[in-house]
Amino acid sequence: MADQNVQAGSPSGQMDGQTSGRTAADAIISVRHLSKSFGKHEVLKDIDFNVFKGDVTTVIGASGSGKSTLLRCINLLETPSSGQILYHGQDVMGRHVDAAGYRSHVGMVFQSFNLFYNKNVLDNCMVGQIRVLKRSKQQAYEEAIKYLGKVGMLPYVKAKPRQLSGGQKQRVAIARALAMNPEVLLFDEPTSALDPEMVGEVLDVMSALAKEGMTMIVVTHEMAFARQVSTQVVYMNDGVICESGTPDQIFGNPQSEKTKDFLARFLKR
Amino acid sequence: MEQFVKLGSDMASLWSKYGGTYMGGIWRTLILASVGTAIGCLIGFLCGIVQTIPVSRNDSVVKKVILKIVQVILRIYVEVFRGTPMILQAVFIFYGLPYFTNNSIQFEGKWLVSILVVSINTGAYMTESMRGGIISVDPGQTEGAMAIGMTHFQTMTSVVLPQAIRNIMPQIGNNFIINVKDTSVMFIIGFTDFFAVHKSVVGATFTYFPSAAIEMIGYLTMTLLASWLLRFLEKRMDGKSDYELVAVDQLTLPAGVYHVNAKKSEKDMNPDERAALQKDAQSRIEDRSGKEAR
Repeated sequence: MADQNVQAGSPSGQMDGQTSGRTAADAIISVRHLSKSFGKHEVLKDIDFNVFKGDVTTVIGASGSGKSTLLRCINLLETPSSGQILYHGQDVMGRHVDAAGYRSHVGMVFQSFNLFYNKNVLDNCMVGQIRVLKRSKQQAYEEAIKYLGKVGMLPYVKAKPRQLSGGQKQRVAIARALAMNPEVLLFDEPTSALDPEMVGEVLDVMSALAKEGMTMIVVTHEMAFARQVSTQVVYMNDGVICESGTPDQIFGNPQSEKTKDFLARFLKR
Repeated sequence: MEQFVKLGSDMASLWSKYGGTYMGGIWRTLILASVGTAIGCLIGFLCGIVQTIPVSRNDSVVKKVILKIVQVILRIYVEVFRGTPMILQAVFIFYGLPYFTNNSIQFEGKWLVSILVVSINTGAYMTESMRGGIISVDPGQTEGAMAIGMTHFQTMTSVVLPQAIRNIMPQIGNNFIINVKDTSVMFIIGFTDFFAVHKSVVGATFTYFPSAAIEMIGYLTMTLLASWLLRFLEKRMDGKSDYELVAVDQLTLPAGVYHVNAKKSEKDMNPDERAALQKDAQSRIEDRSGKEAR
């Protein structure tokens, strides 16, 4: 059911030509019947959704609704209890699948940045390219400089993470993920740990990325961002996908009572 | 006061006669303690790393079983060598190996066996320190590394171990200082370290107190130097506390820049710029609240 919702919710404007032909088989990431329990506590229940190339999927919902767990399952930082995650049709939880190799194609940006404290800004963006992608130092340097420049952090290449502000750290974290040339970028509440004045600089970078056609899954509480930037909005409640569709459908004309309640509570603030 | 003068002259005469012997003892103590601590750290690093290897769902049964067995053996090693006095360990190894091998293994000199005992004893402590150092590194660091596709080995060598080793530097220092003092128990197998020199000197001269005073000063000098050296090393590892801003060269930006306001501190601006910035900020605030109200 959720599957159909997502289909219906695929972007209609800019991608009309492709929309009709898009089936689950074309999806970059396809989540099927995913469930996750911590002990007896069931955090995710039978989640289904697809992410296609160029999609910006925002996942919204109250705290504790399983949004972050969903994202962490997609990147295999948590092991799902049951269900499948397909990457170009291949189950990434299979016995012979190289989890590290898969993760190098799916970047992740964390709420708490997780920059490597023992390395400066430049090395943070280079180490993965050199050790995982086996790029030469020169090539890694050029890529790192390119993306650090894009996020406006080029002057700080020599700084250590502890010397940066939260917004700056998050921009470096985005550059670090981009330097790996991932196919999909996952954002786990990237602005939730930031001071309000720094939220804007990170959202600006993310909007620009979306405009360039980056495929992204964003867990966020920034409703304005979700509405403007995403092609698909997923509202989660209590471990299930309650409703999904285009931003206009979800924000303009929500069908479910729960979605209406949630949005009303949020927009009132 | 007189006693102090007398003590001073007694120490001076002792030193003039036995200075070389004392220095030889200091030298042997320092070498034994540093080599023992270094090898012990190496043992500890390796064992600590093995103790923290995670088991993933996809690992084969063989790997899981072998890892478990190795971890249990290391655990026993740590408990045995942490839980018995080093003086006994020295006796055990020095006399035990010839005993069990019908004298086919004997220790020629005292150096080898002394270094062996100090190393494995320090290794037992360092295993636990290293394990603690590794698990104390923020789990977010591991997640960050895994998220860019690093394997456990790459994560450890590039991210976790450098931080873990920095964090346990004070404990390495602790172990070294403890070893400088505790290697004195090696007299039990006849190793003539700094303290053994004291015993042989007072055996000949009966100047117990002046010799003990020399020993005190000697040990304190060694340990103070050691802790100063370690502090220096820690500072070196931390690197500089400031950093240079690198001038942005437009040529390095062929890909264009995402729109983030260049950071210029407000006090460096002229009034016009400041007003413009405030106006910009105000419009952004209105923009955002306008959007949210919709």
